[in-house]
Amino acid sequence: MISEFLSYGFVQRGLLAGSLAAVACALLGVFLVLKRLSLIGDGLSHVCLTGVAVGLLTQTSPLYMSVPVVLLASLGILKIMEKIKVYGDAAIGIVSAAGLALGIFITALAGGFNADLFGFLFGSILTVGRAEVFWCAVLLAALLLFLLFFYRDLIAASFDEAFARTRGVHVKRLNAALIVFTSLAVVLAFKVVGIFLISALIILPPVTALLLARTFKQVLWLAAALALVSVWSGVYLSFLFNIPSGATIILVNLVFLLIAFVVSRLGRGYKKEEAARAD
Amino acid sequence: MPPVVQAKNVSFAYTRMTVLESVSFAVEAGDYVGIIGPNGGGKTTLLKLILGLEKGTGEMELFGVPVRKFKDWQKIGYLAQKSPVSQTRFPLSVEEVVLMGLCFDAKHKEATAENLQAVRRALQQTHTLDLAGRIFSTLSVGQQQRVLLARALVSKPQLLILDEPSAAMDPGSREMFFNLLADLNRKHGVTILLITHDTGEVGKYISKFMYIDKEMVFFGDRQAFCHSQKVAEKLGPFAQHTIDHLHNHGHCPLGCHCSVEKPAGHKAAHGAEAKHD
Repeated sequence: MISEFLSYGFVQRGLLAGSLAAVACALLGVFLVLKRLSLIGDGLSHVCLTGVAVGLLTQTSPLYMSVPVVLLASLGILKIMEKIKVYGDAAIGIVSAAGLALGIFITALAGGFNADLFGFLFGSILTVGRAEVFWCAVLLAALLLFLLFFYRDLIAASFDEAFARTRGVHVKRLNAALIVFTSLAVVLAFKVVGIFLISALIILPPVTALLLARTFKQVLWLAAALALVSVWSGVYLSFLFNIPSGATIILVNLVFLLIAFVVSRLGRGYKKEEAARAD
Repeated sequence: MPPVVQAKNVSFAYTRMTVLESVSFAVEAGDYVGIIGPNGGGKTTLLKLILGLEKGTGEMELFGVPVRKFKDWQKIGYLAQKSPVSQTRFPLSVEEVVLMGLCFDAKHKEATAENLQAVRRALQQTHTLDLAGRIFSTLSVGQQQRVLLARALVSKPQLLILDEPSAAMDPGSREMFFNLLADLNRKHGVTILLITHDTGEVGKYISKFMYIDKEMVFFGDRQAFCHSQKVAEKLGPFAQHTIDHLHNHGHCPLGCHCSVEKPAGHKAAHGAEAKHD
């Protein structure tokens, strides 16, 4: 059954693109969750709707049309935080609402919703093309290099921005780079799970990993592994039971989170018992 | 030798609200400056301007270099009022948090044996060596502050900038904390800028007072502060409260040779009238 499943070219492409995009989202998500910016994925995914709508209206690639739109929106979030002095959640909310409203407006101009748009809203991993696989690989490679070079700086900026600045860390540049990477990951991931569920790929694996791991490196590795396993098992289950792949991937992630929660509670209870015995 | 910190006509405002107006002062090497003033008076903003975390108008210099061009950050240790991750599950050990205090150049980035030794020394100074392997976010707020003090000390700074750091500490930790600061100042010549509301406890160590209330109300040595009519006249009950705290042991801890009636009970402790020579 599994070998038959893996023999299809569209399944191979979907799994590859899905794995690369999901790992990128999970790695970025670790920093975004710790910086309390995890909803940025949700906001930017809504902005994708504008890019998709423009693409469908002008009959150009919705994917390529979304890149500049989402990049502009991400920089808009940073500017709103900086200039209006509001927290990230409010800035994300403003940009998200604007993106969604504009997307719906343009879609209405184009003559209403159609099947193509539904594919982007709810994900269609099995329609991923070779170009998307290539760009997912480029994104993940660039992200890994970025993490390698700026690993300690990113941790310091996530932990305590003000103190990191007093150590000479270029926090603003790092934040901008992190958000640009997130924009690109969101655009490349929206075919995998759909616009509505991208933020789950950014939030769920890191939160699950944070419940189980003790060190920063463990969190990164575990989040990436969970993202990978969820994509593979989600796509396989969707193939097996003929259910939507995007939603299945997210539900698998939710199951992982529940298991991690129970395991971490049991672990904490065991530690308390040990401490009581030691006393 | 240039002053450690020098401000010339420094002002800062949000869109429609002035926070600091035309503040000038010079902190010399070895000074222990207590920064006091009412809430919202601009004390924390002043520290942020000194550290380059906010941009105001006027000139702010660190060790003779304009703060926007300053690169020698290992000379400065900073401890904020609140721990950055008191509620968040952040996967860093105490040792890793203190390691962040070393500057982010190639030499200090990694956990080398030399860097780890510096980390352990700083943890020892703040009596937190036994916490080295613990996850930082699982510590109590008071323990977190002591670890963050170790982070501020790990680079052996020449200037320590502290924003009401002892608020969450228990009395024992507070005493250890202020004794350590006094030791660093007297024996190692570390210059200290400390925002505090607790002048009674640290008044005996402070060499200069800075009173900020949107403008510079007072900057001078402790004896002048104790006798300052300007402070008393301008700020009324608050200033009296502060001065009374300085005398709450029945004698002036500032060494200004004044006499004061021994206070009896809470009312007296907060209302004893200082009689200066």
